Amino acid sequence: MTGPSDRRDGRRLSANARPSGGAWGLWFAQARAEFVASLRAPDFVIGVVAIPVLLFLMFAPPNARAMLPAGTRVSTMMMPGFGAFGILSLVLFAFGVEIAQERGKGWLRLMRATPAPAWVYLGGKLAMSVLYAAVTLLVLFGVAAAFAQVRLSPQQWLQVAGVMLAGGVALAPLGFALGFLARPRAASTIGNLVFLPLSFASGFFLPLSSLPDFLRNLAPYLPTYHYGRLIWSSFAPAADITAYTGIEPAGTLVSVAWLAGTFVVFSLVAVWAYRRDRRRDEG
Amino acid sequence: MVVEMLGVEKRYGDVRALAGVDLAVAEGEVVGFLGPNGAGKTTSIRVMLGLTQPTSGEARLFGGSPDRREARGRVGVMLQESGVPSALRVREIVELFSRYYPFALPTDEVLARAGLEPRARALVSTLSGGERQRLYFALAIVGDPDLLFLDEPTVALDVEGRRAFWQQVVGFAELGKTVLFTTHHLSEADAVARRLVVIDSGRIIAEGTPSEVKRRVADRTVRFRADLPVSVLEGRPDVQRVDLEPGGLWAVYTSEPERLLRELFAQGAELRDLTVTDADLEAAFVALTRREGVAA
Repeated sequence: MTGPSDRRDGRRLSANARPSGGAWGLWFAQARAEFVASLRAPDFVIGVVAIPVLLFLMFAPPNARAMLPAGTRVSTMMMPGFGAFGILSLVLFAFGVEIAQERGKGWLRLMRATPAPAWVYLGGKLAMSVLYAAVTLLVLFGVAAAFAQVRLSPQQWLQVAGVMLAGGVALAPLGFALGFLARPRAASTIGNLVFLPLSFASGFFLPLSSLPDFLRNLAPYLPTYHYGRLIWSSFAPAADITAYTGIEPAGTLVSVAWLAGTFVVFSLVAVWAYRRDRRRDEG
Repeated sequence: MVVEMLGVEKRYGDVRALAGVDLAVAEGEVVGFLGPNGAGKTTSIRVMLGLTQPTSGEARLFGGSPDRREARGRVGVMLQESGVPSALRVREIVELFSRYYPFALPTDEVLARAGLEPRARALVSTLSGGERQRLYFALAIVGDPDLLFLDEPTVALDVEGRRAFWQQVVGFAELGKTVLFTTHHLSEADAVARRLVVIDSGRIIAEGTPSEVKRRVADRTVRFRADLPVSVLEGRPDVQRVDLEPGGLWAVYTSEPERLLRELFAQGAELRDLTVTDADLEAAFVALTRREGVAA
């Protein structure tokens, strides 16, 4: 126990008080807490890591012999599709639904009364989600190599993983915006309503070429489709992507612009929604 | 001054939650904010903290805007309706919170001060209501704040829990800290605070040491059945209010039940079903406001 406090730094600090770590330490602590808490919710881990891998195992091995014109296996194209599906679920659920629910529980209200800046909260979730995404990809890649005859060069493996993670970060503001816009009770429903149609219409489950025309016509207007297109471009020849999706390429720059635009627009929406939520809380 | 409110007014549409509040709290003071539900206690605290912007007037913390990060770093709060991640352990969440503040007390000391040592490894989701309240207290003091805000901290606690809780608060105040709390319970405020501020309908209606305030607030209710003319009770200086409750029960709000009863018995009054209880503060405050005649 401390004795009577002394004056230090213009404050009335207790003798035992010590300075806390800097910004990096704070970020690390927040991310660690998020990660530890998520490990105690097995349904979350299963939903994020296991479901994409299981779905891939159901759909891909039967297609392992099928080849696209320029020599890419169909199962190789499917692998990052299910990975992107998993990352999209992190974006919408680990960010969107979780944030909305924690708003509802008053957790953010308590944090706002502390000197911790708002980025710490989002930064912690982002770091945790990147870690989960990396684990998901690692498991998925292993399963794909072992059971679906997916063969890539070491450089291609790294490229596809890098594009998937970087694109996931670019989509993150989508989840942040949902988290601050949606009412806590409605968030999960909204998340599901966005999640499944986006995954289908972006060709993450089944090749777009095998889906109805209207989805193929819609896809080029979805940021998630461009996310998929960039991922496929990181290892497959353009001819195979066109054959697999049934959509003519618009160019890498167009897809990059779509993701960058999504990042900027939804960041602005998220900031606006965050402020609106704080104003409401302030009354 | 640690806290200042200068003519603070807060409107929610047509409702005036605060109708011009002036207050100054000096370093080391322990101040209790008392008042019935909806009086403006929580709104006052939120304005002082910079969590709510006043419609007019100004709130200052440590001589500046309450919104400054520097001010936030010197303040610890227990809010109503707050939550913490339920999948974390008590020690984990205290350690995380210690990172939020520029200075922090050692986690072991915080857990000891909040009486949470035996529950350090418990998941937040398994805590009882009282333990959860102690966790919020731990989170409020972990940053070694110069100023502690406690908004209705004992709402979820039983009598024993309340006593233990206020002991922890007094222990922290003894470090030379400033403490500002709100409560419904006059007896708690009386035991802990050196100054009481009574607020009702958004304005301060009484202020002073606990004994000064108590003289003006009926803190006991005497109930009985008797065939008495109401004139015997009304108009006495020590009686704030008299009600005839359903069932023919007299309810007399007074700060001095002993004197009242002594005199009634001396007059030979026959009292049946006699009880003396802590006054329902709402009723007591209503009486106080009425006497002030909502003058201002």
